[in-house]
Amino acid sequence: MTILRPSARRGFLRRNGSQTIVVALLVILMVVGSLVSSRFSTLANFMNILEQSVTLAIVSLGQTLAVLTGGIDLSVGSLISLASVLLSGITNGDPGMVVPAIAIVLGLGILVGLLNAAAVIWLKVHPLIVTLGTGAALQGLTLLYTMGPAGKMPLGFDFWAFGRVLGLPVGAIITVVLFAGTALFLRYTPLGRYIYAVGDDSTGAQLMGLPRAKVLLFVYGFSGFTAALTAVFLVSRFGVGQPYTGANFTLTSITPVVVGGTLLAGGRGGVIGTLLGVYLVSLLNNVLNYMDISSHYQLIVQGLIVIIAVSVYVEKKRKL
Amino acid sequence: MLTLSNVSKSFPGVKALSGMQLDVRAGEIHALVGENGAGKSTLTKIIAGVYQPDEGQMEFDGEIAHWATPGAAKVAGIHVIYQEFVLFPHMTVAENIFIGHERRNALGLVDHRQTRRDATELLHRLGVDIDPDRRVVDLSVADQQMVEIAKAMVHRAKLLILDEPTAVISGKEVELLFQRLQALKADGVAIIYISHRLEEIFEICDRVTVLKDGQFVASHSTAEVDRDRLVALMVGRDMKELFPPKADPAAIGAVVLEARNIRAAGRVNGASISLRAGEVTALAGMVGSGRTELALALFGGLEMTSGEVVIGGQSFRQMTPARAIEQGIGLLTEDRKGQGLAILLDVASNITAANLDEISRWGLLDRSREDTIARGEITSYQIACRGPQNPVVTMSGGNQQKVLVSRWARTCRKVLILDEPTRGVDVGAKAEIYRIMREMAAKGVAVLMISSELPEVIGMADRVLVMREGTIGGELTGAEITEEHIMRVVTHQNAA
Repeated sequence: MTILRPSARRGFLRRNGSQTIVVALLVILMVVGSLVSSRFSTLANFMNILEQSVTLAIVSLGQTLAVLTGGIDLSVGSLISLASVLLSGITNGDPGMVVPAIAIVLGLGILVGLLNAAAVIWLKVHPLIVTLGTGAALQGLTLLYTMGPAGKMPLGFDFWAFGRVLGLPVGAIITVVLFAGTALFLRYTPLGRYIYAVGDDSTGAQLMGLPRAKVLLFVYGFSGFTAALTAVFLVSRFGVGQPYTGANFTLTSITPVVVGGTLLAGGRGGVIGTLLGVYLVSLLNNVLNYMDISSHYQLIVQGLIVIIAVSVYVEKKRKL
Repeated sequence: MLTLSNVSKSFPGVKALSGMQLDVRAGEIHALVGENGAGKSTLTKIIAGVYQPDEGQMEFDGEIAHWATPGAAKVAGIHVIYQEFVLFPHMTVAENIFIGHERRNALGLVDHRQTRRDATELLHRLGVDIDPDRRVVDLSVADQQMVEIAKAMVHRAKLLILDEPTAVISGKEVELLFQRLQALKADGVAIIYISHRLEEIFEICDRVTVLKDGQFVASHSTAEVDRDRLVALMVGRDMKELFPPKADPAAIGAVVLEARNIRAAGRVNGASISLRAGEVTALAGMVGSGRTELALALFGGLEMTSGEVVIGGQSFRQMTPARAIEQGIGLLTEDRKGQGLAILLDVASNITAANLDEISRWGLLDRSREDTIARGEITSYQIACRGPQNPVVTMSGGNQQKVLVSRWARTCRKVLILDEPTRGVDVGAKAEIYRIMREMAAKGVAVLMISSELPEVIGMADRVLVMREGTIGGELTGAEITEEHIMRVVTHQNAA
């Protein structure tokens, strides 16, 4: 029994409330950071933050679309692990194998996503359960393939993680392009509209004859693709794929989405908020680093942020 | 345009439709009437492709039709405006109107300016003033309905089905809707119009088909039949028996609830009312005049920004549902499914939901006692169901409403508030609900009924309060309670 309370927020804040809050938090963190350490507010450190945030950004991009449809993709962590070991395992130091190996893992990512969507559509299982299940299965496959680091990447492949173009980290440029492209896609294509419609009212979308199956296949396929792409950047960073390398990404990919104001119930939000959320999380970790707080605490902080963010953005309903 | 012959549909345990026939022509408004549970919704859903018939044949626009999905029916030109609108609340009006038919530019991308321009023009053509950039969630129900009609026009519907369209709007909005429907009819659109309000059927429909118990009863031109004949076809019962006799003025007791200068939600602006034991008070007024909000504030479902409620010798500056129930107030909300029933739970749980103490022992629920109570209520209110364990989601609107009435009849000792208690309910269940209201009053409960249906207000109320822009605009008692008087008070504000 719920009764909608008349929304207290109006006008600009109501429309852009989440983004405004995130931007404000970013500013506060910058101030805190510069107080904590003199090395914080240097160009080198900001470039470092941009560089480190690439993997989180890309996996969160796909996650955002899944959440917009009212679903979620909990298989991304294991998919990243599997794609990582396959990429470096198949390549195994041979420069000629890099491109085919990347093509294989990206294709695999899309395939896994399509399977997730198929189970949601035709078996009518909630995405939470479907992707939790495929996630477990993928982790199993990963460990069957290798128990430790597999193969290696040729020299120079670390360009994607550490290279600079026009003084900017190459990954960060790719990230911004991907986000901008997805934002335009959501706004300017019918399929983009339908993603919101399915998340807003799934039954309604079906009664309207909107292509729900197509929407879900696209969204989870895209999420699988971005997870695999995340693996490419991770492997570039570490030089080798490891079987647990993606484990933390399942939770951390959700954090920026909800921090950025996308409703877990779907239908509302967008990728720009997610990108701001990514930078907020990365900045926070960076500041915590300068404060000499261990990365274990960073995980605790992230968990708390997810819960707080969801509670802040949840539709203000009052239980009777 | 549409012909159904010998269509049947069964669900586990129920034969929802059998041997149904229907014939709807282009350029006519065809009424579909029948008591709740007569099969109107099932029939609608078959036409809309939501259900597939078990047997029988359907012909649409000269071709045999069997639609596997609602999408297929939509492509063929069928548009249904359900009671619960199919709108995306977080999208704008313009986006909703063109969903599935996006306006695109030369590159095939969504053209937002064109969308807004076309939406503005379409709404203008409909004669309504709605900002296309507003989110649908912020619109009034009547405006949402106009958005639905605009959508049907975009989709070039050949057949438009409206399920109880006037259940949620009133007065001028109904007139506007009828004008729109006449215009669509003139364009050659076939319209199926489902309503419980027989006056409307005679006002706007050309022909009428009557259903009863999932079967076809008769089709007539509305010129051939009169109201009594139609009711007889639907139920075989006399309309005059609908309302029980009113209270003897001597039997009306003391004031049990006094609300002073209530303000809430920006919709109630200083309303004061007092309710007396044994009296049925009707709260009339336009939709949006603050009636529902006032009721919610009295029950604690909305925060009061000022004012006080005096009940049981205590004064409250803020009610909460728990307090209200403790004080013996019951509320039947306007929105049965959203705010009243636990729709997936069974009849028994819903009946006992407001007072679990009654069936608890040492903190545990006594399911067999709950079962006994439920059986008693099912019998005394003649709730049609398969037993206490029947999930309410599978029951008809009238029977769901009876479940709610019986819930509150058990717990409310002083005040029973009913918000549009007979909306979407058939004639038989209406009579039953009126009888229960009168019985509660006879037991000394103060009954407050919110209603947009004047015959109901006139037939039931000992006293009528008319709400206008969040305040009580007038009070009528006894012989003053006539359609003319009420309408005069309701519309008074526009006289100047």
